[in-house]
Amino acid sequence: MGERGAVRLESLTRSYGRVVALNGVDLEVRAGELLTLVGPSGSGKSTILRLVAGLDRPDGGRILVDGQDVARIPPHRRAVAMVFQDYALYPHLTVLANLTFGLRVRRVRRQEAERRARAAADRLGIGELLDRYPDQTSGGQRQRVALARALLREPTVYLLDEPLASLDAPLRFATRAELITLHRELGTTTVHVTHDQAEAMTLGDRVAVLDRGRVRQVGPPQQVYDEPADVFVAGFLGSPPMNLVPGGGVLGGADDVTVGVRPEDLALDPDGPVGAAVEAVEALGSETILLTRCPDGTRLTVRTGPRPGVRPGDEVRLRADPGRLHRFDTASGRRLR
Amino acid sequence: MSADRSRRPLTAWAFLAPYAVAVGLLIALPALLNVGYAFTDHTGLTRDPQFVGFANVRRMVADGFLLDSVEASAVHVALAVPLRLLAAVGLGLLLAAPRPGGRWFRVAVYLPTVVPDVALAVLFLWVLNPLYGPLNQVLGLVGHPGFTWLSDPGTARVAVALMLVFPIGEGFLVVLAARRLLDGRLYEAAALEGCGPFGQLRRLTLPLLAPVLLLLAVRDTILTLQVNFVPAYVLTDGRPANATLYLPVYIFDQAFEFSGFAYGALITTVLMVVTAVVIAALLLAVRRWRVLR
Repeated sequence: MGERGAVRLESLTRSYGRVVALNGVDLEVRAGELLTLVGPSGSGKSTILRLVAGLDRPDGGRILVDGQDVARIPPHRRAVAMVFQDYALYPHLTVLANLTFGLRVRRVRRQEAERRARAAADRLGIGELLDRYPDQTSGGQRQRVALARALLREPTVYLLDEPLASLDAPLRFATRAELITLHRELGTTTVHVTHDQAEAMTLGDRVAVLDRGRVRQVGPPQQVYDEPADVFVAGFLGSPPMNLVPGGGVLGGADDVTVGVRPEDLALDPDGPVGAAVEAVEALGSETILLTRCPDGTRLTVRTGPRPGVRPGDEVRLRADPGRLHRFDTASGRRLR
Repeated sequence: MSADRSRRPLTAWAFLAPYAVAVGLLIALPALLNVGYAFTDHTGLTRDPQFVGFANVRRMVADGFLLDSVEASAVHVALAVPLRLLAAVGLGLLLAAPRPGGRWFRVAVYLPTVVPDVALAVLFLWVLNPLYGPLNQVLGLVGHPGFTWLSDPGTARVAVALMLVFPIGEGFLVVLAARRLLDGRLYEAAALEGCGPFGQLRRLTLPLLAPVLLLLAVRDTILTLQVNFVPAYVLTDGRPANATLYLPVYIFDQAFEFSGFAYGALITTVLMVVTAVVIAALLLAVRRWRVLR
């Protein structure tokens, strides 16, 4: 089956009381790819995962896994495995029992279940933890246990709900790389939810940006970053976010247009056309972020190299890379070609 | 600073003092005196009780009524504790989930706990009435002739246990609260693994609630050995054939009706020992389940 592991969402809607979580979501996850769903909290990312997993039912629309409508298939018959944000490990069971839980429920014999659990644990480097209880392991170890538990389901689709959110920064960095490696080895379709735009940029083959229950843009991370489809995506991806200036302002452009430029596409240039006063300097070591203010009140964020020799209060001249200006229709927010 | 720190335990003790004094004066001291009185000829009326050695113990060993009483208490605990736990846990788990009208059901479950014991017992005199009581009428609907509840030794014990199945409010509340603290995501994870409602009950809810259930079992054992006094007193007065002559009833009879204060004190000591033994057995039994890891 060439379709194996492909997930398709068709005009999916879901409301909780008056809150619209999903407002007509169309999304295609290709077989074998790692798709990242990114968006601010409340954008509907987790709702999508819960609907695909079968933990919740859509109000309208269809979900197809492997080309098959899963509406009438109960969660455990769907070929999906979910890793929960806080891992949802059973606190009263050892790591080994946590791993064999699902197999035992599905009446796999104990010896066989334990053999498979050990194999999965070894694969994720938690072989020595099998006799411990979840509260005797670290956050990173717990995350691996949750992943191993998902592995044991041998699903065609993995659903990861903010799997890195509860890890501290260095661990998150290392685990991110491991997730990519694991996905490459397994080659299984993976939908990964995050609110961290840096994670979205680095982790996925493609990224889908959500806002208020709608998919704003889907594409390879770099493409979405370079050509954001609308003002929301432009502002959400990238840190610090893109400068967005109304047309006719310091970045030029027509009146009904919003002009955007990323901080790294603004350069300090003594002959630059835009004058601005430096309000704050954030030295990050490898780079420096300048917060500036133009005479007309427009604030521009500039990303420049380390040690730029600029102090708050200094007057600087800025030049925007003309090839890297973004134009958006002010009324609709859509990108203009 | 160091003076401050050295004063801290003192402050703690000062705060504890009122409670400690009350426990000492109202519980520990009487319990000790009770053991002392057990070896005297105190009647509750005489002014200076005399030490009589093991006379009371010798009397106790030969006391057939006491054997009846211990048996009645043991049967009662074996009957009432599981029933009360089952009711409290079952209703607590059923009514923990928020659903429309749920609060009225929860109120209904708690309500009998608020009713005074004596009132509940009088109510049960009517419920259990063999001629016009609703219980027999309900049995009549399914073709059963009904029981003469309080005049048959077997059914009298059941009747008392039955009445005590209703005032379970505290246990119910504890289960309700404990169940609500369990992480909903564990259940979602289990559902994804194909674990149905009964599987979830067996593999998640009960093991996760085990420490709470153990606490309730211990507490209910202590309680059940004592709270049967009122229903037995109102419903049967220890009869028929000593079937409901529970230890508290027998103690009361001996101490206050027969003026055998010293003998009553001795049986009270026996009740304390019985309680301790039952609880020790309970804790030993669950130790292998590693509930209290």
